[in-house]
Amino acid sequence: MTALERRYRRLLLAYPRKYRAAHGDELLDVLLESAAPGRSVPEPREVWGLLLGGVRSRIIDQARGSAWVDGLHLGVTAAAVANLAALLPYAGSLPLWTALSALALLAISRGWVRTAIPLTGVVAAKAVALAGGWQVFDLTLLPVPPSSLARQMLFQFGSPLTVAAGYALALAGLLVLARRRRPLRVRSWWWWAAVVAVAWSGPPWMPQDTVYPLSLSRVAVEVVVFGLAVTGAYLARDLRWALASGLYLLVASAELILHAGELTRQHLAYWGLLVLLTLACAFAPYRQRRHCLD
Amino acid sequence: MYFVLAALRGGPLHGHAISKSVKELSGGRVQPSVGTLYGILERLNERGVITVDREETVNGRNRRYFRITDEGQALVHAEARRMQEAASLVLRPSGAPFALRPSGA
Repeated sequence: MTALERRYRRLLLAYPRKYRAAHGDELLDVLLESAAPGRSVPEPREVWGLLLGGVRSRIIDQARGSAWVDGLHLGVTAAAVANLAALLPYAGSLPLWTALSALALLAISRGWVRTAIPLTGVVAAKAVALAGGWQVFDLTLLPVPPSSLARQMLFQFGSPLTVAAGYALALAGLLVLARRRRPLRVRSWWWWAAVVAVAWSGPPWMPQDTVYPLSLSRVAVEVVVFGLAVTGAYLARDLRWALASGLYLLVASAELILHAGELTRQHLAYWGLLVLLTLACAFAPYRQRRHCLD
Repeated sequence: MYFVLAALRGGPLHGHAISKSVKELSGGRVQPSVGTLYGILERLNERGVITVDREETVNGRNRRYFRITDEGQALVHAEARRMQEAASLVLRPSGAPFALRPSGA
């Protein structure tokens, strides 16, 4: 295998595995035939074309199957990520509940809805109780102290209502999904990377006296994920990403509404950005066609 | 897309031949990268504008030959007519019925 072929094979990883298996060699054949003799480094325009083509192919591949089922599953997955991220910094104090929350996310991301419902339900009951200062299932020393990932105590800025909102959305979505007999799409492992970034309270960026501080790392992850959703909606002309973004926006909005008296301009900018990106997801599928195949 | 369909009007071609034909037909102005070309081919194929004519194995690698469908022929003709009409607005030999008269004339 030549250096050029090895480099092109590496670039072809941008494409979905299924597409690579079916047509990877065909693309490689054309790439090698088009290359100038003696060339060992791919041309920049070929690199760019393969990366864009691969990403586009991956996005189009995601837009298969029922849009509302997949959109609902995506929204539930995002809510489960946020629920686990809230507990993760306190895993040392709450190992069992963090593990159960992780199992719930695993079940949701693999599409095992009937396993995910009881797991999410039991973690929801415990989390809401912790936010309210009540003891259920087992005795927990309250408040749960800060850790290296979070500077504040568990649910210091949350109330039982805000905590319940995230779990209620996940549970309601799972109950709807459980009515379907067809298997759900398996979600990417990248969602687990998002859990850690969302869990971290991030570098300080709001004034120290802010009553309800937002985590910069969480905001960054949300903006990136919403941005990907807009790209998907734009390229695939599909509404599943609008549904998922809308569901997540509901949870994020519930938290902000319950802290309405303590919001700063940064909170409003954050909320406005999420609303704007959700609207973009909703309208992008209806963009004007530039040509008959657009 | 237009040049890809125009290239396939001559008969079934595989990816590399389509790429060369597009370059020739456009006088070197259009040279899609392989990633872009295959993105176009997959979309045209999905919409039924082109189809896979046959598959061959060359040097142990699969090679698809694409063929334009009747729908694709109609589409590329319609696009050519549209461009011809647009061009004729500017390139009509004499008399410019749509030309603006200079003010004060």
